[in-house]
Amino acid sequence: MTSSRFVVALVAVGLCASIEARAQRRGGGQPGGPPATPRAGAPIDLTGQWVAIISEDWRWRMITPPKGDIVSIPLNLQGQQVAEAWDPGKDEAAGEQCKAYGAPGLMRGPIRMRISWADDTTLKVDTDYGMQTRLLQFAPAATPASARTWQGATAAQWLVRGGGRGGQRYGSLKTITTNLRPGYLRKNGVPYSERAVFTEYWDVHSLPNGDRYLVNTNVVDDPVYLQLPFETAIHYKLERDTSKWDPTPCDARF
Amino acid sequence: MIRAVVTRTFILIALVVTPASALAQVELNGSYSIRMYEDYIERGPGSFLGDFTGMPMSDEGRAKALLYTSNLPSTIERQCLAQSPWVGLYRPLGLRIWSEVEDGRVVAWVMGGDYLRDTVRIWMDGRPHPSANAAHPPSGFSTGHWEGDTLVVRTTHVKTAWIRRGVGIPGSDRSEFTALITRHDNLLTITTIQDDPIYLTEPHVVSRVWEFDPNGSQAGNNRNTCNVGNELPALEDTGKVPHYLPGQNPEEEYMVKHYNIPKDAALGHAYTLYPEYRKMLRGSYKPPTSCDRYCCGWIERQGLPGAAPGLTCNDGNLPRALRDALTNPRQPN
Repeated sequence: MTSSRFVVALVAVGLCASIEARAQRRGGGQPGGPPATPRAGAPIDLTGQWVAIISEDWRWRMITPPKGDIVSIPLNLQGQQVAEAWDPGKDEAAGEQCKAYGAPGLMRGPIRMRISWADDTTLKVDTDYGMQTRLLQFAPAATPASARTWQGATAAQWLVRGGGRGGQRYGSLKTITTNLRPGYLRKNGVPYSERAVFTEYWDVHSLPNGDRYLVNTNVVDDPVYLQLPFETAIHYKLERDTSKWDPTPCDARF
Repeated sequence: MIRAVVTRTFILIALVVTPASALAQVELNGSYSIRMYEDYIERGPGSFLGDFTGMPMSDEGRAKALLYTSNLPSTIERQCLAQSPWVGLYRPLGLRIWSEVEDGRVVAWVMGGDYLRDTVRIWMDGRPHPSANAAHPPSGFSTGHWEGDTLVVRTTHVKTAWIRRGVGIPGSDRSEFTALITRHDNLLTITTIQDDPIYLTEPHVVSRVWEFDPNGSQAGNNRNTCNVGNELPALEDTGKVPHYLPGQNPEEEYMVKHYNIPKDAALGHAYTLYPEYRKMLRGSYKPPTSCDRYCCGWIERQGLPGAAPGLTCNDGNLPRALRDALTNPRQPN
């Protein structure tokens, strides 16, 4: 073998070894095969404590706006009528003080949320605001949920990019939530119905200074109360100091 | 011979080790319609003067913003200050994105939108940012790279500007932006993180959604220059700069009086952006008894194109004739 061919061969062997090692580092499954579990194959790390930065719609998210303030939400006539009939006293009497804490309303609230893996196929989202728990399930539930709940049933799916030739893997989480109990998009009684479908895309962005942001792009599609899908993006920042976690129960008024 | 082999070797290395992430990207070309479901009042009819809620302003930024009057932008030399590169996130129209290609490779993404002084050109060819002493063009200087499906943009060399719409909140020419542009199906999300050592105490983060719309109006996307003109003859050639003196802005208390919002929140202190601030308000905040201005957003546009039929909402913003016609429809004979 000439020296030049030896150089090429050496480089090729080295590269193959490097790629194989990287392939084994990611995913946790068999080399070259799919990841063993959604947890092992997560292209992004959503775990940790995230705080909502209320830099948008402050007056409608941080505090309870007055009845009838439905600006920016594409309600139809029926939705408007329901919003104008909002009575928090009735909600309290009916034991429904958590109506504004269902998934579509919760995520726009002034929340801290802790995301963790409940098991290899379920991401758990706990919030201090309203003390709610969402379960984002990568595997179909063994038995379909029967009763509707504030958080509904959420199917989760990784959208994976990259990772070829040993490169870094990127991706997003897509979730679709159904089986919701009717609730409020806004604390002052702006409604969504039990037919609402809540679709979310979860993206994590890491900045060079170490800050990490979670951006949740979401769509509330409700054929009962909305003229058009309600599409927003909500941002959160990762907190390494978790001392501000402060669970508080649902409150129908404030 | 040796040289050729070395060359081939490096090509092989480049092909094999180039991270897939560098190649990963999504198609951004096209027109996008605005989805104005956040900060509707600011992006639609316009902010209330003195409304700095949601802003992490420094004392200097707050003081400068409180000098602002609504006729200040009419002075010739300030008419373009509202048009910073990422101000589109606070504007009411759509945007258009296209790529500039050389030898089959995207060398830049370009964004055009309503009310920009210039298109925002995001260089993808690896060029460095210019010297800190270089000129600051109207759209700043932006470079980008892909991280998965997100185009990560860094913008420097911006001009001094008003960073939100119509309230005089300043951004200095030392601001730097990180913009994160992500497309999921037809939804385009742009998140901007602005650092400004002069007028902000922490990064100002905004995230907005647009929707891909091949039928989107292009009309708002062609205003790529800021045309100045004399708007208030009374100011022409006078050298007068409309302003309030410190402590004399009558709008300083507007949000407090009208919405019962504490002054520290109305005037943009960073600690008011976080959930713990809400808990400080428990027991003291009382919402207004009713909504009387800009309550309805979409619905107040009833009778105008795009509104669903039959909607009514009396918040005082509709022209009287239209409001009367909608709330007291004439019965057919």
